[in-house]
Amino acid sequence: MLLGRVVGRLWAARQAPSLGGRKLLLVRPETASGGETTRLLVAVDGLDAGPGDRVIVAHGSRVRDLTVGADVADKDVIIGIVDGHHLEAGT
Amino acid sequence: MILGRVIGEVWATRRDARLQRSKLLVVRPHALYEPAFGGLGGRHLVATDDVHAGVGDVVIVCLGAPARWSVGGNDTPVDAAVLGVVDHLDFEAARMSAPGAGPGISRPLSVALPGGAAR
Repeated sequence: MLLGRVVGRLWAARQAPSLGGRKLLLVRPETASGGETTRLLVAVDGLDAGPGDRVIVAHGSRVRDLTVGADVADKDVIIGIVDGHHLEAGT
Repeated sequence: MILGRVIGEVWATRRDARLQRSKLLVVRPHALYEPAFGGLGGRHLVATDDVHAGVGDVVIVCLGAPARWSVGGNDTPVDAAVLGVVDHLDFEAARMSAPGAGPGISRPLSVALPGGAAR
């Protein structure tokens, strides 16, 4: 899993049935201490997260099957919304 | 499996119900493995923990399906789990850290061990 920040939501009027009208969020992976990275991924929301939330994103087809369903064409799924963290000093 | 160091812990009240009992640790992959995770941006990963690892521990992290088995079957939506805490590591630093010794290795490495010793 990785930590990221929800930076936006995606809407698509024309989309494949395999996206099934699922809520898609833009997530920017973060460093452990919350620093921004230049990467961006599109994750399916399993938990009703929203822009600004810090989230835990899991990857893989099995994770996808277990959370949002085997018929969804996205293997990045939000499985947790972070309340807080404790980090070793200097990280 | 990869080797890493626990650098923190995260709390998430809202999370998948099947994860409610698991502690979530932030692990920085050891330099040997870092390139693979650097590409994702964050140079860390979040792993469930069932062996009571703590911040500062060097740990063995399992990725993929075996990680799910460790947290109670294949029905938990996780992709990484801490499976062991390393007590001792013999490591041929000079040989392993030579440029070209492995994918992405281009600089000298050091392994920080519990107790502060470095090899």
